[in-house]
Amino acid sequence: MKEKLVSLEDALAPVTSGSTIAIGGSLLRRQPNAAIRSLIRRGVTDLTVQTWAATTATDMLAAAGALRRYEGIYTGMFSYGLAPNFRRAVESGAIEVRDFSETAMVARFRAATQGLAFLPIKTLLGSDIADKNPEQIRPFSCPFTGEKLQAVAAATSDFTIVHGYVGDKYGNVQWPIVRDSDDIDQMIASAGKRVIVTVEKIIPHEEIKKRPTLTYIPGNWVEAIVEVPYGAHPVSVDAMYDEDDAHLTDYLERSRSAAGAAAYLDEYARAIPSHSAYIAKVGGLSALNRLDVQPNELNHV
Amino acid sequence: MSENKIVSAADAPGSTAPATTNELVTAVIAREIRDGDLAFVGVGTNGRAFTLAVGIPLTAVRLAQMLHAPSAAVYWGNLLEPDLSSVPADLKQDSFTRWQAAASPSDTGVKCDMLARRAFDVCFDSAAQVDRFGNLNITAIGDYRKPKVRLVGCLAQPEHFAFVPRPIVVVDLDRRVFVEKVDFITSVGHLHGGRSREEAGLQPGGPHLVVTDKAILDFEPESKLMRIRSLHPGVTLEEVLDRLSFRPVVPDSIPTTPLPTERELDLIRRVIDPNRVLLRV
Repeated sequence: MKEKLVSLEDALAPVTSGSTIAIGGSLLRRQPNAAIRSLIRRGVTDLTVQTWAATTATDMLAAAGALRRYEGIYTGMFSYGLAPNFRRAVESGAIEVRDFSETAMVARFRAATQGLAFLPIKTLLGSDIADKNPEQIRPFSCPFTGEKLQAVAAATSDFTIVHGYVGDKYGNVQWPIVRDSDDIDQMIASAGKRVIVTVEKIIPHEEIKKRPTLTYIPGNWVEAIVEVPYGAHPVSVDAMYDEDDAHLTDYLERSRSAAGAAAYLDEYARAIPSHSAYIAKVGGLSALNRLDVQPNELNHV
Repeated sequence: MSENKIVSAADAPGSTAPATTNELVTAVIAREIRDGDLAFVGVGTNGRAFTLAVGIPLTAVRLAQMLHAPSAAVYWGNLLEPDLSSVPADLKQDSFTRWQAAASPSDTGVKCDMLARRAFDVCFDSAAQVDRFGNLNITAIGDYRKPKVRLVGCLAQPEHFAFVPRPIVVVDLDRRVFVEKVDFITSVGHLHGGRSREEAGLQPGGPHLVVTDKAILDFEPESKLMRIRSLHPGVTLEEVLDRLSFRPVVPDSIPTTPLPTERELDLIRRVIDPNRVLLRV
């Protein structure tokens, strides 16, 4: 097995401006925020993103002016409302948006996973989602029954960035038994060409080997793995820590204006040399420990 | 919200105060739930939007379970048959993670597959715009390419309307919401009316009921135009028409929305939502 444990900066070094990136996470869970802050710090821009239910990662990229195109099922802030920076950028015409419903996005990632150009759906017949996107959603007839179907283009990307729970130095990533499974991170990773995974904790390979069924992203798929404790902050990693309500509230308050959001990114992304400096900036591990949730006795994380 | 009360009396759990509008519509929805139904409930946001998308639907399904539909079940988030007798007390992530359920499939693609093969019977949806044929918009107000207001996108709402036989729309009655034609069809209801939905290739279905804070509406079977089914106690027809920017089908005689029974009110207040988490606003 090949060792793939590297620094955050080294893992993300191949990601250049103009890339297409699939981003994992769902709502206020496991957004790969540490990786996104690192890309913003380096000034990577002109990105196309493919997402599931996106919140902070996509909104910070929008605030940084780094998004050229967005393809996904949702961008908002879950219980905190709309995503202010994404909203502002889309309303100004700065981001090309293509919406996909959940079955459409699942079909797109599954098509990429299977090496197919498309998979069929019949969800978006009559919907403006299809009407506004003839490049990626095309009507055709079922060759068996003749019924109306729609082909949705495979979600092929240059890079895939996912934040996971625990992994080993070979890139094997495991989920806990009791978690919130309302996401498609495994599917997003399986569709990836160059998969970069950040995890809360690197654990010994011997521990991973004891429970291989919990490995949802096999190291075989992974190009690089990075240890970034609290790497989803200010959102949560289910079963490990909760979202940081005070920080999210401050982010949204400052994001009322583009200048406020830019100042936020200057402070928390651009002026910060590394993820460990970010942790120090938000109060250190002692402050972040206060977000930890009570461990579940069934879990190993 | 004081506006939310039919009579502005206190409604502390266990009190005999008259039904609030939330309780009234919860009881109406509960009666729509049949034994064995699988209901899809979205994850919602906060405040009033949470009450409409999550609070009222969960309370209604639980009420139905307790009264006439013991085997009705819910799919919430990616939890299949979450225990509705112990709804999370807050909206923090860990409360959701700990919510016990019969199943939590390994990814949400499983739920998408169940939707597409029509495993659900009922779903609950709200929207920024609803038109006279029940099409919904949760994507963008104004021009899609450069919208006046960019909304959240679509999630699985198009699936609900494409594949679930009896979608129930839960929204407050408002002229800006109830528009002649939505700016963007996120989710296809009865499309352009008549048989246009089927002609587009969709299976029969489309929104079944529109539950609002002033009236219950449904759709005229032939034209598929929105129709007033009942007016809530104390609400006049004019008030309802004022809050719609199109003319719905108005039957010659419109009944009053039936009040919850004492039993229904007691279960909602004392057993299902004693801390007013679900029907708070």
